[in-house]
Amino acid sequence: MPVKITIDIFSGRPNPEVEISGKEAQDMLERLKPGAPLAGEEAERAATPILGYRGLIVEQTGTPAVKELPARFRATAGSLVGRGLAHKAADPDFEQFFFSTKGASSKVKEVTKIRALIKEELPRAIDLRKKLVLQLPPFPIKLLCACAPLYEPAWWNDSGQKQFNNNCYNYASNYRTDTFAQPGRAAGAMYTALTCASVLPAAVADALEDTPGANNKCPAEGHLVALVIAPNIDFHWFRKGRNGLWTHKPGGTAVTNVDNSGHLITDPRTANRGMYTDFCTFMVVKHGHIKIN
Amino acid sequence: MDTSRSTKEDRIFTAGVSVFSGRPDPAWTLDEETGSRLQQLFETLESSEEPATPAPPLGYRGAFLRDDSGHEWLAYRSVVTHTAPNRSEARRDPGRKFERALVDSAPQGLVPPGLLAQEFD
Repeated sequence: MPVKITIDIFSGRPNPEVEISGKEAQDMLERLKPGAPLAGEEAERAATPILGYRGLIVEQTGTPAVKELPARFRATAGSLVGRGLAHKAADPDFEQFFFSTKGASSKVKEVTKIRALIKEELPRAIDLRKKLVLQLPPFPIKLLCACAPLYEPAWWNDSGQKQFNNNCYNYASNYRTDTFAQPGRAAGAMYTALTCASVLPAAVADALEDTPGANNKCPAEGHLVALVIAPNIDFHWFRKGRNGLWTHKPGGTAVTNVDNSGHLITDPRTANRGMYTDFCTFMVVKHGHIKIN
Repeated sequence: MDTSRSTKEDRIFTAGVSVFSGRPDPAWTLDEETGSRLQQLFETLESSEEPATPAPPLGYRGAFLRDDSGHEWLAYRSVVTHTAPNRSEARRDPGRKFERALVDSAPQGLVPPGLLAQEFD
């Protein structure tokens, strides 16, 4: 009865996994047997995605040894959720056991680092799930920016070719070139200084449309981006997503949805942008119209 | 016939600073002697179990050293992380000696001095 357990914690990097079998797997599944059914909103709270540690994904990879458990389910904050499953675990402290020195997490690669991270993340995740305020989505669901790209960080954050060779300009324009694209280079009109006055016309040469009066409102066609400058040092771009929030990709690093204060970005004009102190303008990227390199 | 060439090829080290978003980050080549000296400096640091402090997305995010055999040393604030194929190890550097030595090895003017002053002063 082999069992695969995935520690669901990362966004860009692959999650750590461990496979166990025999008595160890049997003991683990005993602890995970369904107890009392979850009541009221408990099931939805357990299944709601959160940032950071999200629980353990348990997969019975062979013939399921415990019939009451589906082949794949999530164990989080003492609860179990999966197909036909919304119950408390027989051992509600299962995760604490799993991450202890006696637990199967000892077999995970780089376990010391993971434990240090989990020490902070586990109580935070449990507390967060208790406090989650569930909001019913309005009906019909209103898309704030229907034409804007989805926030799909995992697509860019591959710790390889896509991530390292595409920068903020690639991400904002949703255009992968693998060349660390520079405003104006494709049009033979690259910027000559790191100022709004120089980078803005270079982006216009790439067919981005300057919309200084956009005032953080989504365009009817295309999606909104914002140009900011660290004077004489560098430029940076943000893009507005389908949910109305802004995201960005600082150079060759991972895509993120937070600013330098760790806050979600509702308006790049007021976000903590570190050294990128000059807000230049909003611009519109019309899909299929632009050319960058 | 060239008889002066060493039988053992020198390692090539690349150093750099992770700081820009739009422009490529500044990077420079180090000779074997400087790279090895930095590597020895790392070896003098104490092991750390603490995870490295995450850098903010925009601005200075640390300095790196890489060799041509897949080893990378990444220094940010008081932790230096060495990553080699199939393993990684963190060491404490409370005085930021490794990070400063790495940044100081940059050719003059390559890294905007104002940025470094803000970070290290």
